[in-house]
Parts: sequence; structure tokens; C-alpha cells
Amino acid sequence: MPSVAIIGSGPSGCYAAQALAKARPDVSITIFDALPVPYGLIRYGVAPDHQGTKAVIRQFERLFERQGVRFAGNVTLGRDVTLEALRDGFDAVVLATGLHDDLRLGIAGEDLPGVHGSGAVTRAWNGWPGAEAPAIGRRVVVIGNGNVAVDLVRLLAKTPEEMEGSDLVLPPGTGVQEITITGRSPAEAAKFDPVMLRELGKLTDCAISVQDVSSGEGKTVEALQALDGHAPEGARKRLTFRFGMTPARILGQTAVEGVEFTDGTVIPADTVVTAIGFDGARAACDAEGVVAPGLYATGWCRRGPRGTIPENRADAMAVAARIAADLPEGPGKPGFAPDCATGYDGWQRIDAAERTAAPEGRVRAKITTLAGLLALAKDGET
Amino acid sequence: MQIAILYGTETGNAEMLAEDIAAHLDDHDTSVTNLSDMDPADFTAGTLYLIVTSTYGDGELPASAKPFEEAMQAAGPDLSGIHFAVFGMGDSEYEETFNFGGKRIEELMKGAGATMLGARVTHDASGADMAEDLAFPWAEAVVAEAEPALAA
Repeated sequence: MPSVAIIGSGPSGCYAAQALAKARPDVSITIFDALPVPYGLIRYGVAPDHQGTKAVIRQFERLFERQGVRFAGNVTLGRDVTLEALRDGFDAVVLATGLHDDLRLGIAGEDLPGVHGSGAVTRAWNGWPGAEAPAIGRRVVVIGNGNVAVDLVRLLAKTPEEMEGSDLVLPPGTGVQEITITGRSPAEAAKFDPVMLRELGKLTDCAISVQDVSSGEGKTVEALQALDGHAPEGARKRLTFRFGMTPARILGQTAVEGVEFTDGTVIPADTVVTAIGFDGARAACDAEGVVAPGLYATGWCRRGPRGTIPENRADAMAVAARIAADLPEGPGKPGFAPDCATGYDGWQRIDAAERTAAPEGRVRAKITTLAGLLALAKDGET
Repeated sequence: MQIAILYGTETGNAEMLAEDIAAHLDDHDTSVTNLSDMDPADFTAGTLYLIVTSTYGDGELPASAKPFEEAMQAAGPDLSGIHFAVFGMGDSEYEETFNFGGKRIEELMKGAGATMLGARVTHDASGADMAEDLAFPWAEAVVAEAEPALAA
């Protein structure tokens, strides 16, 4: 049977495998990941208090449990196996490597201690192995007006009780008193989803004020106006939305002291988190995701780091249709996985251990060291 | 009696559930169709329609159900004599719009004169139940209710 290697087990890689398995049941599929755990940003990007969003994992479990798709974890491209070797060993290779680095603001003071990118922060809060959680002070400025910024703000504002049902034991903002979220655009051009904003209206320990939204129409503005004046009794935290604010520089000598904006406004802060998007090279490919004969790209790796899980599903389905048409009939190449690879059974042991370790009111306690993950993933090997 | 399972999906969860329901009802004559491929003119009186849909965005129907919504609004079909049931999938994290997708399908079908069987059941992605643990009993109950009415 022909074989396909998919590099990356995040939503794009898994959706591509799902569509390919449906279109070509005769194909043997291996999904590689650098970590011994699958699902990429579903596990490490989707917020820990949005477990419903993570429910797509149930679809992907079918791939490994019923449809014969092989998981090859703990394999880093370029270190454990080369792209050339994969292209030699498989009939098709799909790049679904996803996330890039945090975009930088490009202003003075950006490298001061206390300034963090959203990608690094969310990886740490989601228990990415070895990612160190940044110190969060009392006054936080979040720069950015998209859903990633709202995730950050919500998690900073939540109490331990509000993390009920999540996979994060303690919310990261226990010492936070003041959160300011700023964006360059006016409110009506902010990229927040209204539904994400309305969720903030449920916060129990955080008062909210929204400035600079006197004008403008649309569901985002309406949702912001509805949030303004949210004042739970005895709230210990305060969240302020500011719009039309372009950062000029981060102030401070040895650590962050504030953010100065181009209009001269200074917001004092001991912590700054930027959530202005992600950076990185996309695979050079055509509109159908073809990089070269037998080599394809999908998801953020193909289109750049934007778009939701459903958008990447549509993208993965389109690329899979192209691959299904290109693949030969008949025997094909056998495929392989390097000796270091850990399997789906290894992930099942990790999953079970994390669920068992969950404290009261949490669905799981993530193992956050690579050594810890590998010990379980390789357990049972002889 | 034929059973047509229609699904509206954005992430694939409703599609998987529709296929699971078909497998569960394997002693019946079932089909599974994406709502994006369903022409309102194709509804047939002798068929039971089980419609599974999620909710997406700001309380909207999921992408694959939107063409169906548009077609229903454009065609204004008379669906009297058509029997259907609705299973909605939602996430109570978004309580203001929880399960609006299922509600919207019910409105569209009833508005065209179709008869709903059973109660609209909803699954909560943030709850403890598996979707199929709610959907299988729902489907069995609806099928039992439909059999006397739709038996040819």
C-alpha cells in the first residue's frame, strides 16, 4: 500500500490524516511529532478552560484507535530523521508543523525582563514540556486585540474556583490587581470574537471598564459596551480596555516599569504580554499545498499563522484531496519510523496518568517535563 | 421506513456523531448526508430525518448548514408531511448562544410545516456526557415514535 508521512500532529495534521484515510483507505499513514504527545495546539494552544473546544480530539483518537493511523512521537525533523529520508521512504510527505515564533513589536525596551510573547506564555500555561512560566506581577499590560489576547486576559482574571473543569490547577494571575488590554485600532476594528468578549462578563473577581468606544457599530462594539461597568461585588482585579493606542516603547532600566504610547500616554506595568500574532516562514507552495512532487504543506505551515480550527480543517481536507489524487495505486513505499519514535500506546499511558493525577475539580494534571513524558511513553518497551 | 441522518458541522464533531448514529441504527435503512448537500426539494414523506447540528461563532449555524439555511429561505418549501428530529451540539461555556444551531434548524423545519418528533436534545461539550450517550437513546426513541406514523 502507498504510505504518507504527516509532520505534525496538531489539528491540521490530524484533519489531513482523517480526510486522507476517508478518501484512500488503502493508504498507510504515519503522523510524526517532536513530542511524545499528539494534538499540538489543541493540547498546548487552546486555553485550559476551554475543554469543549478540545473535544475534536475524540475524532482524532479514532484515527489511531480504529483506522490504523500510526503515531510516531518523539521524532524531531532534522535531528532524528531528515526530510530527504522521509521523502525517500514515503510516497508523500505533508508538512503540518504549524506554529512559529511570536511577532515582535520592534520597539525599544522589548527585551527587558517582564516582557513576554503570547506564544511563550500560553505554551507555559498549557504545560509545554520545559516551558518556564513567566513571572506575572501586579500590573499587566496585554498588547493586542485578538482572541489570543482575550484568552490571556481571561486566564489572568480568573480565580482558582473559576478554573473548575479545566486542566490548569492554579490560574496564573493570582497576584494580579490591574490588567490593561490595548490595541492600535479603534474598537470597531478589533479582531476579538464577540462571543469571546461576552465570556469575560462572567468573571467573578474582576471589574471591567472599556474606554475609547464612544463611536462605532457592530457586534464587537456592542459586546464591549455591555462589558463596560461589569463590577462583581468585592472584585479584587480590574480590567481596562483601551483602543487606538500604538506602543512607542517599553519603559524601565533593569525591568519593565510601564508602556509608553505614541500619544504620550504612559501605563505603569511590571509585566507586558504581547499578543500581536505569530511570525515565521511559510512553506513555499502553490494554492493546492504542493511544495514539490510528493511534498505538501497544510494549515499554518501553508497559509501562515492565522485562522481557526475549522479553517484549518477546510485547508487540510483540500490538501488531502489533492494528495489522494496524486498517490499511486498499488504497493507503494513501505514507510518507516526511526528507533527513537514513541507510539500511540505511549500517549495512552501519559493520558491515563494525567487523568488519574487530576485534583478535585480538574480534568487532568499535565506532565510538564519531557523526561516525565518519555518515561511513560517508553514504559513497557523491552 | 428510511432514516436520513443529516449533519451540520464546522469542526467535524457533528459529522462523526451522525456516522455513529447510523452505525448504531444498523438494523435500519440509513443514510448520512452533509446538510451542505441537502436540497430542500428532496425531502420525502416516507423518510425520517434525524438532524444533528452544532452551533458556531456567535450563535450561528455551522458552515456546512448555512447553504441549507439559505436554500430553505430561498425555496420556502412546503414540508407538511415531513417528519424530523433535532439533536444539537453546543458548549455551555458560551451560555448566551448555547445550542442556537439546533434551535435554528427546528425553526426552519417547523416554519416550513414539518413535524418534529420527540424533544430537541442538546449535548454540552463542556459537560460530562459523551454525545453518543445522549444521541443513541434519543435516536432510538424517535425511531420508535416514527415507525407507526411512517410505516409504509
